[in-house]
Amino acid sequence: MSDRVKIALLLTPALLVLGVLFSGGVLAALLQSLGYFPAIGMTEFSLDAYREVLGSRDFLDSLGLTVYIAGASTAISTVLAVAAALALRRSSGRVSAVVFQLPITIPHLVAAVGVALVVSQTGLGARLAAALGLVGEPSEFPALLYDPYSVGIILTYVWKEVPFIALIVLAALRGVSEELEEVAGTLGANAWQRFWYVTLPLISPGVVAGSLIVFAFTFGAFEIPFLLGQTYPNILPVMAYNEYRDIDLAARPAAMAINVVIAVMTALFAALYLRLSRRLRRG
Amino acid sequence: MSARLELEGVSHRYSRDEWALSELSLAVEPGELVAFLGPSGCGKTTALKILSGLLTPTGGDVRVDGRSVLGVPPERREAAMVFQKPLLFPHMSVEANVGFGLKMRGVPRGESGGKVETALRRVRMDGYADRKPGELSGGQQQRVALARALVTEPGLLLLDEPLSSLDANLREGMRELVKEVQESGGYTTVFVTHDQEEAVVLADRIALLFDGRLRMYDRPQAFYERPASREVAEFFGTANFLPGRARNGTVETRLGDLRLSTPTPPGEVTLTIRPEAVRFEEGENSFAARITSTTYLGTQVTCGLDAAGVQLKASLPPHTQLREGDRVTARLPAESLWALEDGPEGQPG
Amino acid sequence: MASPYKKRRAPVGLALVAALVALPLVPILLWTFAGEWRFPDLLPKEWSLRGIQHLTAPGSRVAEAVFTSLGIAVAVTVAAVAVGLPAGMALGTYRFRLKGLVIFLILLPILVPPLASTMGIHLTFIRLGLADTAFGVFLVHLVPTVPYAAIILTSVFADRTGELEEAARTLGASPLRAFVYVTLPEVAPGIAVAALFSFLVSWSQYILTLLIGGGSVVTLPMLLFSAASGSDPVITSSLAVVFALPAVVVLLIALRYLKPSGDQGLPGLGKVS
Repeated sequence: MSDRVKIALLLTPALLVLGVLFSGGVLAALLQSLGYFPAIGMTEFSLDAYREVLGSRDFLDSLGLTVYIAGASTAISTVLAVAAALALRRSSGRVSAVVFQLPITIPHLVAAVGVALVVSQTGLGARLAAALGLVGEPSEFPALLYDPYSVGIILTYVWKEVPFIALIVLAALRGVSEELEEVAGTLGANAWQRFWYVTLPLISPGVVAGSLIVFAFTFGAFEIPFLLGQTYPNILPVMAYNEYRDIDLAARPAAMAINVVIAVMTALFAALYLRLSRRLRRG
Repeated sequence: MSARLELEGVSHRYSRDEWALSELSLAVEPGELVAFLGPSGCGKTTALKILSGLLTPTGGDVRVDGRSVLGVPPERREAAMVFQKPLLFPHMSVEANVGFGLKMRGVPRGESGGKVETALRRVRMDGYADRKPGELSGGQQQRVALARALVTEPGLLLLDEPLSSLDANLREGMRELVKEVQESGGYTTVFVTHDQEEAVVLADRIALLFDGRLRMYDRPQAFYERPASREVAEFFGTANFLPGRARNGTVETRLGDLRLSTPTPPGEVTLTIRPEAVRFEEGENSFAARITSTTYLGTQVTCGLDAAGVQLKASLPPHTQLREGDRVTARLPAESLWALEDGPEGQPG
Repeated sequence: MASPYKKRRAPVGLALVAALVALPLVPILLWTFAGEWRFPDLLPKEWSLRGIQHLTAPGSRVAEAVFTSLGIAVAVTVAAVAVGLPAGMALGTYRFRLKGLVIFLILLPILVPPLASTMGIHLTFIRLGLADTAFGVFLVHLVPTVPYAAIILTSVFADRTGELEEAARTLGASPLRAFVYVTLPEVAPGIAVAALFSFLVSWSQYILTLLIGGGSVVTLPMLLFSAASGSDPVITSSLAVVFALPAVVVLLIALRYLKPSGDQGLPGLGKVS
């Protein structure tokens, strides 16, 4: 058996499964978004759904919120992850492994429940504030759930994704010789300069790659905003879901158009990530 | 510009009974190049890290121009260091690497450009300013590293075996470059090496360290002519040790009474003489010997001598006619003999 | 060591990070066993086992949901590894044209939310009678799990040189026997990582189950979600504990038995290609 045949045979099951279930699904979503939906007698291709969706106030509000949540979660997570990685750079062993891996393995829903129990108006945070005499009644504690600033959602994402980015940064840090930082020191660089001019540029491909994945994920993730988000506006995946659940099947193309927008944007992030991680490996 | 450096009782230990450096005291004069020489693990790199500020010693004091610098972090010491590996910043161009120290000190771009150019010219790397470190050979990288250290005109230049990562053929050129740059710049320089030859060629003075202790601190020549101990003599390749007893200006040995040109206090001593100083001729301090072995080494022939049961080594020119078994007259010139004062444990063989 | 750059700040940093990691988990544990816990008390006044009792109460459907979740996750794990193993072998062992593209296509379902593809395929599933069935849910769970399994196994195979198989062949082993006796034992830890990861991804899945299961397939996250939308923190917390349990167990297994290679969140993603 030649290598080519062997490779093709080995790849067939995975490509078949993903080709049918994923690519097929995306293709079906694309067709439906273009108005091709024979089940309800729509067989004409058109861009009506896109015109309707992309121009609507609802979509723009939702897009804005999605970018805000994904952007804020990613930015905060990235900064904290770099700090955490630097702080734990030299501590090895099982304790730090558990500490880092735990939030990665715990499901998002559990994280959301925990964050809600901390930041809700009767949560641990409010109780601590009351113990310190800062608030008397629960209603005096700021509303951090179902709120326009999506604090609860962002905190949940930060809790989940900081360790994820931090592990990537830690791996990148391992490739940075501490001697380089020492050289910088003997050349007159203070701690901040050593970080800014030497360490950060060297780990930045890892940092960017990690942040891109997190951005793509938070851009397209559904359940946390569905659980902790306000009613209107909500993020694009929730909007797509709501349109999809609409009793009127004519709303389907709109739901699918939103899906296609999400898929295209996250695919772009994915392509960017792959380019970066390839460059990262080449050094 | 160039600083005077003093170490006083500098000690460092990594754990309770692991001394890396013990009571090191010496002074380096402005513009002087001193080599810290010793086998690996002797504490020389520890000493250099202490001078750079990367390591704080557990005892003693380091003074630059009379002021203690112990509490001063590396970035505020005017001490530039070149490491064993070039350690260029891989994400910066050659120019940015060399200009790094100036940038950290807030030197304006216009001013730093000229300095970077000058520094690169001094290490003959002008024309490479826009390259990335990855595009340079090991020798070129090390030259850039040298320029990077020099560009801030440091009061103290610290070199940590900067030639050891280079191929043998590049090493000599780099050695000359270091010497040239150091002399023209007049930097007070401390140079760490395990290579005796490198130390002799480069250094004004050599500090020889064994097991974290300073064994001898002197001009290179002295290490050959007047070694401080048998250990020092052995490190510098002196092969001949001859036990004796000093009395009335001569030393009584199994080869007869030998005269030394330096006065020797009475008592048990060990005489040393380098193989290349042994003569084959009649005269003062001469005796009969037999050649027991000859080894051709290209530029010379070393031969083993047996005289009244005493084994000695001598060097002969490569075209010598002497062969194993030949009987000869050998002479140990008075000016080449040096008496080591031995404690009772120094049983010479 | 007394180097100014090697200060021992790690224990302080570690303690701080550990506290932040534990922060949202603490109230979950407290509420699970809380009886009366009114605002603004910092700790429950009374403890109770109401939450635990709810988990086993006949009407709560928790046992049934756990069973469904487990069944789907185990089936998904087996299938994802079975499909991902050959793909990982091909991508990790061989170099070929279009390999970058294949990797991109395999990674895409992790990075592009599977929500889009699942809504697209829903109609077909309805036509084929797969909607509202556990089998249908099993199928869509393959979309996010197969890529993980394939990519993890790719990096496992990429780390190998193949010299051991060659040695086995020269000792008279057939290709199949070399695979069974040499290759498989060597990649077994990698397969375990891929399996654990696939299990967790399937176990944690909410929206795909909701879409395709349509409410007929009740897994644990369904119950947790509706509890979390309600107002009984005791029930929510006890469900959350059960839901988080496999993650903790998997983590402990991984740390105990596997060498610490899971440096990256997407293990081995950086080593691919």
